[in-house]
Amino acid sequence: MTFLLAAVIVAITLGITFWASRRNTSASDFYVAGGRISAPQNGIAIAGDYMSAASFLGITGLIALNGYDGFMYSVGWFIAYLTVLFIVAEPLRNLGKYTLADMLVYRLKDPRVRTYAAISTIVVSSFYMIAQVVGAGSLISLLSGGAIGPSLAIPLVGVLMIIYVVVGGMLATTWVQIIKAVLLMFATIVMTVLILNRFGWSFSNLLGAVEQRNGAEFLGAGVKYKNPIDLISLGLALVLGTAGLPHILVRFYTVPTAQDARKSVVWAMVLIGAFYVMTAFMGNAANVLVGKDTITTANAAGNMAAPLLAQALFGGAGTVGGEFGLAFVTAVAFATILAVVAGLTIAASTSFTHDIYKGVIRKGQATEQQEFRVARLATVAVGVVAILLGLAAQTQNVAFLVALAFAIAASSNLPVILFTLFWRRFNATGAIWGIVGGILTCLALIAVSPNIRGIDPPEKTTGRHLVQAPAIFPLENPGIVSIPAGFAFAVLGTLLGARRREGTEQAFEEMQFRAYTGAGVDGTVAAHD
Amino acid sequence: MTVSRLQSGSPPVRNAAYARLVAERTRFTVIMTVTFLVLYFMLPILAGYNKPLMATKVFGNVTFGYVFAFLEFVMGWVMAAIYVVKARTFDRLAAEAQR
Repeated sequence: MTFLLAAVIVAITLGITFWASRRNTSASDFYVAGGRISAPQNGIAIAGDYMSAASFLGITGLIALNGYDGFMYSVGWFIAYLTVLFIVAEPLRNLGKYTLADMLVYRLKDPRVRTYAAISTIVVSSFYMIAQVVGAGSLISLLSGGAIGPSLAIPLVGVLMIIYVVVGGMLATTWVQIIKAVLLMFATIVMTVLILNRFGWSFSNLLGAVEQRNGAEFLGAGVKYKNPIDLISLGLALVLGTAGLPHILVRFYTVPTAQDARKSVVWAMVLIGAFYVMTAFMGNAANVLVGKDTITTANAAGNMAAPLLAQALFGGAGTVGGEFGLAFVTAVAFATILAVVAGLTIAASTSFTHDIYKGVIRKGQATEQQEFRVARLATVAVGVVAILLGLAAQTQNVAFLVALAFAIAASSNLPVILFTLFWRRFNATGAIWGIVGGILTCLALIAVSPNIRGIDPPEKTTGRHLVQAPAIFPLENPGIVSIPAGFAFAVLGTLLGARRREGTEQAFEEMQFRAYTGAGVDGTVAAHD
Repeated sequence: MTVSRLQSGSPPVRNAAYARLVAERTRFTVIMTVTFLVLYFMLPILAGYNKPLMATKVFGNVTFGYVFAFLEFVMGWVMAAIYVVKARTFDRLAAEAQR
C-alpha cells in the first residue's frame, strides 16, 4: 500500500512537471519560474522547501527519544525566519538578481567574487542534498523491509529529482513543493487532532503520560545535550544559517516584487510555525503510543517515529487503518524528500550555470538558448554527483551533514550578505576572505569534531566515526566559533584590501537605493548587468 | 505591482523621503533583530544553565520549558505581524523616494 500511495504522488507530480515543461521557454522561466509565482503560492512553496524530512521525520524522532531537547530544533528552525524576514528577503528581491553571486558582483564590482560565491552556494547545497538523498535511501529501504536497499533507492530518488528539475524547471519544482507542503500539513493536523482526542484534548495529559513512562527528566532540558554550549552553538547555526541557505534565497526571486517576497515569508512563517508547534504533540505522542524501543528497533536515529505514530493512531499494526496511516505518512515523507531535493538541485544548478558558466566562463556572453541548455546539463550533473556522493555516504550518520550545511551558510554567506547590504566600506577582498575563511574554518572544525572523530567500540559496524581518535574540537556544531570567524575574516579582508578598490562607496549608494526602494526592478527579474 | 524603472547608470535620487526611509528602516531592523535574538537565545541559555527552572511545572504537567518554547512561536508571529504593519510605511516612503 505504501508503494501504491507513493506511486500516486510521484505520478501526480510528474504530470505537473510535464505540464510545466510546456511553459518553460526561457532561462528565467527555468531558474525562477519567470518571477510569476504569487506570494501565497511562494510562501507555501518556501514552507514546502523548508519542512524537510529532517524536520518531519527527524524532529519527531528526536522528541520521541529525547523529550524536550528535540523540541529545541523546532524553535530554532522557526525563529530563523525572522532573520530572513527582517534582513534579507526584501532587499534581495529588490535587487532583482538570480543568485547571491549576482548581488555581490552588482555591489562590489569585482568578477572574482562571483566564482567564490558560486562555490559557496554549491558547497552548501551539496551537503544539504547528500543528507536528503541518503535519508530517502534509508527510508525506502526500511519500508520495503530491505527489499529495496539504499544502493537502489538513492539512484531512484536522484533520477526522479533530475526529471522534475530538467523537465519542469522552477515552475514544476514550486508546484511539487506546494503539493508536498499541503499533504504534510494535512497529515500533521490529522495526527495532532487524533492525538489530542486520545489525551482528552489536553497537552498536560500528554506530558503526564510521557512523565509516567520516562520520568520527570524527560519533560525538561538536558537529556540529549549535556553541554550548554552545544545548545547555543546549534541555535546560532540554525537562526543565522537559514538566511544564507541558497535554496531559500532563490525562492525570493520567483515572486514579482519585494512586497510579495515579504508576504511569502509571512505565509511561510504561519505554516512553518504551526507545523513545528505540532511536532511537540507528535514527538511526545510517539514516545507514549509507540514507545522508544519500537522506534529505535525500526531505526536507531528515531527516523521512523512519525510513520509508526500514524500506524498507532489509525488503529495499530495489522489493522487496515493502521497500515493505511503508515503508508500515507510514509508516502508524504517520500514526497517531502523529493520536493526538498528538487529545490536544492535547482539552487545548485542555477548557481553553476548562471554564475560559473555564463558569468565566468562565457564572461556574460552566452545566449539564452545556450544558458538554458547548460542549466539542464548542469542539473543532470548535479543530480549524478548527488547520487554518487549519496551512495558513498550511505552508511554514515547524516544528521551532521544538515547541521554542517547550516553552519557553513551562517559562517560564509551570512556575513557577506549582511556586509554587502549594510557596510559602506565593504569590498571584494572582504567578500572573498569572508566566504573562504568561513567555509574553511567550518570544515576544519567539523573535521576535528565528534561528528568525524571518536572512538567506537570494536563491535559497532554502523554509524562508525570516520576517524578512530578522540575529538579535538568538543562541539557537534561549529557555529559558535565559525560564525564569528566568518565575520572576522570579512572585516579583516575589507580593511587589508580597502585601498585597492576605487568607487566602492558609490556602488554602495546605488545598491542601497535599489535595495531600499526597489527602483529598477520591473515585475520580472532585471537583465544581467 | 509595477515599480517605475530607472535609467540604468543614473545616480541615485536623494530626497527627504529616501533619507527617512534609510534611517527608519535601519533603526527598525536593528531594534527588531537585536530584540528577537536576545529573546530567542534566552531559551537555549536557560535550557543549558537552568535546568530546574525549565523542568518546573507551570500548570498541570506543562513545564516552564514548554511554555517558554511556545511563547517563542507567539513572539515570532507577533514580530512578523509588526513588521508587516511597519512595512506599509516603508513601501510608501520607497514610492516617494523614487519620485
